[in-house]
Amino acid sequence: MTSITAYEPGASQLLMGNEAIARGALEAGLGFASAYPGTPSSEIIGSLAEVAGEMDIHVEWSVNEKVALEAAAAASFAGVRAIVAMKQNGLNVASDFLMNLNLTGTNAGLVLVLCDDPSALSSTNEQDSRPIAKWAELPLLEPATFQEAADMTKWAFELSEEIKNVCLIRSVTRVSHARGDVRLGELVPPSRQARFAPTALGQFTPYLVSLKHTLLHQKVNKTRELFESSSFNWYTGPERPELLIVTSGSGCYYSLEAVKTLGLESSVGILKLGTTWPLPEKLVQEHLARTEKVLVVEEVDPFLEGNLKELVGDTFSALGPLTFYGKRSGHLPSIGELDPDLVMGAVSSVLGQERVAMDPEYAKKVQQLTGGQVQARMLGFCAGCPHRATLWSVKNALKLDGRGGFVTGDIGCYTLGLGPTGFFQLKTVQAMGSGAGLACGFGNLAKLGFGQPVVAACGDSTFFHAVMPALVNGVYNQANFTLIILDNSATAMTGFQPHAGTGASAVGEPAPSVDPEGVCRSLGIRVEVTDPFDLQATTHKLLDLMQDDGGVRVLISRRKCALVRAREEKAAYNVRVDSEKCLGESCGCARLCTRIFQCPGLVWDEESGTAKIDEVICSGCGVCADICPASAIIREVA
Amino acid sequence: MANDYRGDGREQEMSLEVKGCRELQSEVLAKDLCSLCGACIGMCPYLVAHKGRIVALDECTLPQGRCYVFCPRTSLDLDLLSHAVFGAAYPADELGTVQEIAMARARDDGIRSKAQYGGTVTALTCFALDQGLIDSAVLTTSDENILPGGALADNTAQILDSAGSNFVAAPTVAAFNRESGKDIQSIGVVATPCQALALAKMRASPLDNRNNIDKLKLVIGLFCTWALRYEDFARFLAAKVPLGQIVKFDIPPPPANIFQVFADSGRTDIPLDQVRPFIRPTCDVCIDMTAEFADISVGSAEGVEGWNTLIIRSDAGRELVEAARAKGVIETAPLPQENLDHLKQAALLKKKKGLNKVIETTGSDQDLLYLKLTSEAVKGLLS
Repeated sequence: MTSITAYEPGASQLLMGNEAIARGALEAGLGFASAYPGTPSSEIIGSLAEVAGEMDIHVEWSVNEKVALEAAAAASFAGVRAIVAMKQNGLNVASDFLMNLNLTGTNAGLVLVLCDDPSALSSTNEQDSRPIAKWAELPLLEPATFQEAADMTKWAFELSEEIKNVCLIRSVTRVSHARGDVRLGELVPPSRQARFAPTALGQFTPYLVSLKHTLLHQKVNKTRELFESSSFNWYTGPERPELLIVTSGSGCYYSLEAVKTLGLESSVGILKLGTTWPLPEKLVQEHLARTEKVLVVEEVDPFLEGNLKELVGDTFSALGPLTFYGKRSGHLPSIGELDPDLVMGAVSSVLGQERVAMDPEYAKKVQQLTGGQVQARMLGFCAGCPHRATLWSVKNALKLDGRGGFVTGDIGCYTLGLGPTGFFQLKTVQAMGSGAGLACGFGNLAKLGFGQPVVAACGDSTFFHAVMPALVNGVYNQANFTLIILDNSATAMTGFQPHAGTGASAVGEPAPSVDPEGVCRSLGIRVEVTDPFDLQATTHKLLDLMQDDGGVRVLISRRKCALVRAREEKAAYNVRVDSEKCLGESCGCARLCTRIFQCPGLVWDEESGTAKIDEVICSGCGVCADICPASAIIREVA
Repeated sequence: MANDYRGDGREQEMSLEVKGCRELQSEVLAKDLCSLCGACIGMCPYLVAHKGRIVALDECTLPQGRCYVFCPRTSLDLDLLSHAVFGAAYPADELGTVQEIAMARARDDGIRSKAQYGGTVTALTCFALDQGLIDSAVLTTSDENILPGGALADNTAQILDSAGSNFVAAPTVAAFNRESGKDIQSIGVVATPCQALALAKMRASPLDNRNNIDKLKLVIGLFCTWALRYEDFARFLAAKVPLGQIVKFDIPPPPANIFQVFADSGRTDIPLDQVRPFIRPTCDVCIDMTAEFADISVGSAEGVEGWNTLIIRSDAGRELVEAARAKGVIETAPLPQENLDHLKQAALLKKKKGLNKVIETTGSDQDLLYLKLTSEAVKGLLS
């Protein structure tokens, strides 16, 4: 991947949506960027980190989203333009600060990018972040194209400075992760006059709340006026459309494609809104007055739909009879991602036409184009993943213990422990740090008849993000549980970003490494460290910790992420299967390795009735040799 | 030992049900019928023993498994087993197949002082090894936390080390399963009645995988009336005696009614009534006190102090005892009639109690849980 500064101004360049956002920020004179990684937001700060050195700006992976926003706000307070990016879940972490920052106001431009994940492709929920704009009374921009991703970001800094408040940008997976042409502008170096200079009346606090709240309302009104003339809002279609589609963000392309495919350009109009809160009321009313039917196309919740109806309610007499179609009417789903097919179905249905479906050959064509390139594989741990090994031992330890113990899970690659390649070991997964938080509660139910061992699992990055407070709570309230820190030395799920424990900064320079083991020991916790590839030792250490009842215990299961390892080292072992020894489906094995252990490096050969190693996929970790009951899997030091 | 039951034309009326691990779990483990003999483990990665429990680590979905077939608490057709082991029908009486009953003891004082009662088992096992009848013996040993398990011995010192009675159920057969595939040719097993039943089921198994049962040359059975659950008994005992200091256990003859714990620090007597709650529930449905499917069975029940009671059941058993007697390894004497009568009474009482418990559990004398006995046999035993 070429860096986002590599292109000349004026050039048209293929950029990922998140790169376009980052480039837009650099064209606005960005000086400070912070985030906690989270799909689909991670590449914004990731691509800025790559150029932080040459641009001489500060870019950091913060320990969590709240700290990221706080750090960026400080930069803004000191007169430095700053950007923060987070996924929808991260917004919840940051929202406590945000709901004070909105009243406080900002100084230099501060842009908060919220990347939503409709269909929850990489998330535990598909929360729509946009209502925070209404709740916090902050301007909201929704890019629909890659050019807009860059241009809106650039403009968001100006808007932020104009109203002295945070400006929100909401992206979704298909905007953040797809690629399109972006015409680039000039890179602008940041102001290097950073200085915090509050005045007596200009302290940075929400205090004098009523006054600040009044000011906030004024800012919203000012924003609305600016939005009325924004070029991010436009209309295409006939003067008086039979049906008006109002759409924002990812819905824009879907709507354009649907109308074009249906050949309805002369009867269906599209009002594309880039500024969705506060609504540019005059512009919207103008378009609503020219139609009788309105279809709202947006991902995920009926946010725009509700706001439009609210507006119509306020100005009922000025508008003719209007019928709204969208999520409330059931014409579009209020879950998951949209696509042109869904919009075509909704348009056809509203217009009383026979439903025109997507070209049935479409899926086939896609298959043909990608076929053979991408192998279908189960959602699960990679070959050689240390989490598989850890969860294997967890499974065995819980079974051997026999008291009905269970794992409260957390957010990271190991969340896949909910499924078959983690042997279904995780029984709860909620938010960052919730595994340990839940364990605090489960671990204090003994008086109420509870006798099951509780094991909380978290990753190393998650440990720093939100587990530490829960751990302190557990120690203080004497909760009875064992925390396993699955330390793979990376924020692996989101793309191997470094974190507080890795000894490297976001920009790739050496950084102090915070040691989870030392942190836990300083809390007076019994800590054991294990190599997950030593299945026996890991099982027995965990069993021992689980049975050492009373208080919080910690097992650190430490092994570098297999994908990171593969980039740095060669495989430890050459692994092969002795098919003479392999018991296959016979009593005594029943395909333990390919049926239960399920490393993708192991494949079942129907013909010979034995397991085989897929040499392309096998990472050479050698763990499967330890689970083979017939010693048929041979590992030789590579 | 005859094991070719398949040729005698009786297979039509006899059956040994073949199911898999899932049924073993639902029919035996979930119902607390497991005797922890160890027959289902040591063969695969799915079932393991841990602190006195059989644990299924993962789900095996095979419809047919050795674990189910070898279990002495599934489909126990005593007639079929008797044909497999002794080549004759099962005598549904007090003591099973018997060639001779005597009392016996080791001639070696050293063995006698180390072993329980007459030291006959230790002496015969050492002798079988010396004579090359077997090259390895599967015995039961305990760790420092009194957790027992099977172990392979190939010399006298190892056998002497594991001498003495064990009252906690032990998965000894697992050691046979684990070791029999290795480079050893003839194995002897010192087995409790349920362990001997499991080994008999291996002989009778219709599965293609013979589990190296042909290497089994000798089963020395031990009398047994019950065995204890490990985990909670160990916890109970640890509160009285440090487990690491325990040397051996004993239950002196009635009317003492005590459980003796011999430790480095001295002897602790525990009322037997405090120990009984730890008896495995499966012992209540057991009908075999004297290890009826061993080559020879040895015990103290209803015997004479300082001597063992010895039952010779098979030709192999008789040959071993006769040779050991001829070489002066053991001495034997007739068991007094009164003691024999008492032994039979005790064995019969166990059968009656077991059968009644089974019938009470199922609510029908037509459904005997794991047992397959003819109605006549049941009637005869309960009369």
